[in-house]
Amino acid sequence: MKVLIANRGEIAVRVIRACREMGIPTVAVYSDCDRASLHVRFADEAYAIGPSAPAESYLRIDKLIDVARRSGADAVHPGYGFLAENANFARACADAGLTFIGPSPDAMERMGSKTGARRVAIDAAVPVVPGTVEPLGPSVSDAEIARLAASIGYPVFVKAVAGGGGKGMRLVTAPEDLASAIRAARSEAGSSFGDPHIYIERQLQFPRHIEIQLLADHHGTVVPFVERECSIQRRHQKVLEESPSVAVTPEIRAALASAACAVARAVGYTNAGTIEFLLDREGQFYFLEMNTRLQVEHPITELVSGVDLVHWQLKIAQGEPLTLSREIALHPRGHAIECRIYAEDPDHGFMPSPGRMLGRRVPGGPGIRRDDGGATPGLDVPIFYDPLIAKLSAWGGDRPQAIMRMARALGEYEVRGIKTSIPFFRWLLDDEDFREGRFDTTFLDRELARRNGKPFVTVPDEAEHVALLAAAIHAYEEATSGTAATGAGKAPARGWALKGRLDGLR
Amino acid sequence: MNFEIEVNGQPHAVKVERVGSRYRIESEGRVDVVDVARVDRTTISMILDGERQSSHEATLLDRSEPGEVEVHLRAGVVHTRVAGAPGQRRWSARGAVFGGAGGPQRVTAPMPGKIVKVLVKPGDTVAARQGLVVIEAMKMENELRAARAGEVKDVHVAEGDVVEAGRLLTVIE
Repeated sequence: MKVLIANRGEIAVRVIRACREMGIPTVAVYSDCDRASLHVRFADEAYAIGPSAPAESYLRIDKLIDVARRSGADAVHPGYGFLAENANFARACADAGLTFIGPSPDAMERMGSKTGARRVAIDAAVPVVPGTVEPLGPSVSDAEIARLAASIGYPVFVKAVAGGGGKGMRLVTAPEDLASAIRAARSEAGSSFGDPHIYIERQLQFPRHIEIQLLADHHGTVVPFVERECSIQRRHQKVLEESPSVAVTPEIRAALASAACAVARAVGYTNAGTIEFLLDREGQFYFLEMNTRLQVEHPITELVSGVDLVHWQLKIAQGEPLTLSREIALHPRGHAIECRIYAEDPDHGFMPSPGRMLGRRVPGGPGIRRDDGGATPGLDVPIFYDPLIAKLSAWGGDRPQAIMRMARALGEYEVRGIKTSIPFFRWLLDDEDFREGRFDTTFLDRELARRNGKPFVTVPDEAEHVALLAAAIHAYEEATSGTAATGAGKAPARGWALKGRLDGLR
Repeated sequence: MNFEIEVNGQPHAVKVERVGSRYRIESEGRVDVVDVARVDRTTISMILDGERQSSHEATLLDRSEPGEVEVHLRAGVVHTRVAGAPGQRRWSARGAVFGGAGGPQRVTAPMPGKIVKVLVKPGDTVAARQGLVVIEAMKMENELRAARAGEVKDVHVAEGDVVEAGRLLTVIE
């Protein structure tokens, strides 16, 4: 096997590491701005695939297939994002005689349509969030949709059938707002996904987002893992995940696991996938959707199970039978938390903060795992891609210990030159409701609204005094340069200062 | 040796002497004795003498303006400026969108990106918090808003333009 990684950033580095551990040669691809990125430096071979804009490089199926041919790669790992859930890409790989490290194109397609996936779950006797079963095309009248919404019960979501990532989604709390929400969702769905079909789903009150990771081989074995909880979301985007969930009892876990397996079996699913559920306060859960790929938050499952999911992805793709013990997969060993470190300025509405990383101090020590190959010092964080630059995970014997370690590691973590979400996580890890496990998917947006822009970064007076001392020492060494006992006292070259860029990014 | 050092805009008179690896630093009646060890080209370890020897790590990064140094500490970043260097200017107004009182608002791009919408034209009156320009970077659209009410004097970009961080977008008076 020789694997082409059709991705970039931390996930490309993650996959390359697994391949190297298993003695599998790796092929990286890169766009113009990624020439010096870590995934290129780590891979055995690297090929340019065009300009920085994703549509001209990482999303170009023809170029990726061409690189596979040129390099002699016989398998493709799609990572997450980009083409990872694109059935056309999976099909193109198959047509070119390449092994796609993921499910079959058919399984991907069936789970890619939200209403199709809901239909699969209903047929497998897995509860779904109350809503419409059939997709609603442009010919279905507003009046008809209003009747359906009334029978489901407000508040409802109007969602794009082809949707994802919060796009093409509108919340409607009262019937009079329905018509405009339908218009907006249809138009967004049409422009973002090229499919104007929508459906209606009831908004559950105070749900928790719980998901089941699973692995499935080509011999009929499906192994579910202990759940992950991803309720800490900002505007429907996960920012922190943990495993296991404080809200899941062993009974609920067993029921979730068998529901997830039933859905996966119904579509003949293979390789790694995740079934997402909403869990209400009464312990009732509802199928939400399936992600037909490896997920960002897979490290926490690896930490509590001791299983390397990417190793298994590679083995399953080679036809090996899944020999994992269900006991190990479903019984958490301790507790794990992951923080998604974004190049964003939490003190300015989480605005993206691309630019050059000037330096960093990385955390380590007991229970800490870093997947931080998404950006490295001396290089620019590009404007073209997702702002996830690193994932920081902490493992502890129990949840309080995992939290202690994460809080400690966040204190050690320093990224210079660009703003990151690290200060936001320091605040979150200290929040009493978070520490007590009292939250649902609406928790973070509510808390942030309540903070009303209060800064996450506050420098105490004593630190300002220490800064004055440091600046004085620096000034002295500059003035007496060459004689300083502490060595070359010069801060980095002016070229590092990146005028305009930093100026705007305070 | 005497310096005038601004910390977050506040000036301090500082007197510095060195004996071996130790510095004696006097500022506004407070005296600190600091043991300094260099960690790498930009980072120093400092131990402050006293009953409790507090330990600090500082990374010092020069900025483009002479005398300006960013001090990165565990608690956060502190902006400092050593006065007296030739050709020096005061801290420029930063983050103009969020800027202070008085004077025209010079709205600059807070990040490199693509202009997807220009919501105002010269002569428009705008209210505080009104959207001016929408800039797209890293898959997200960000609306830049007016800090205060005023009249749009100039618009320097058009939809579709790709801009560098710091580029002047519009001026509100």
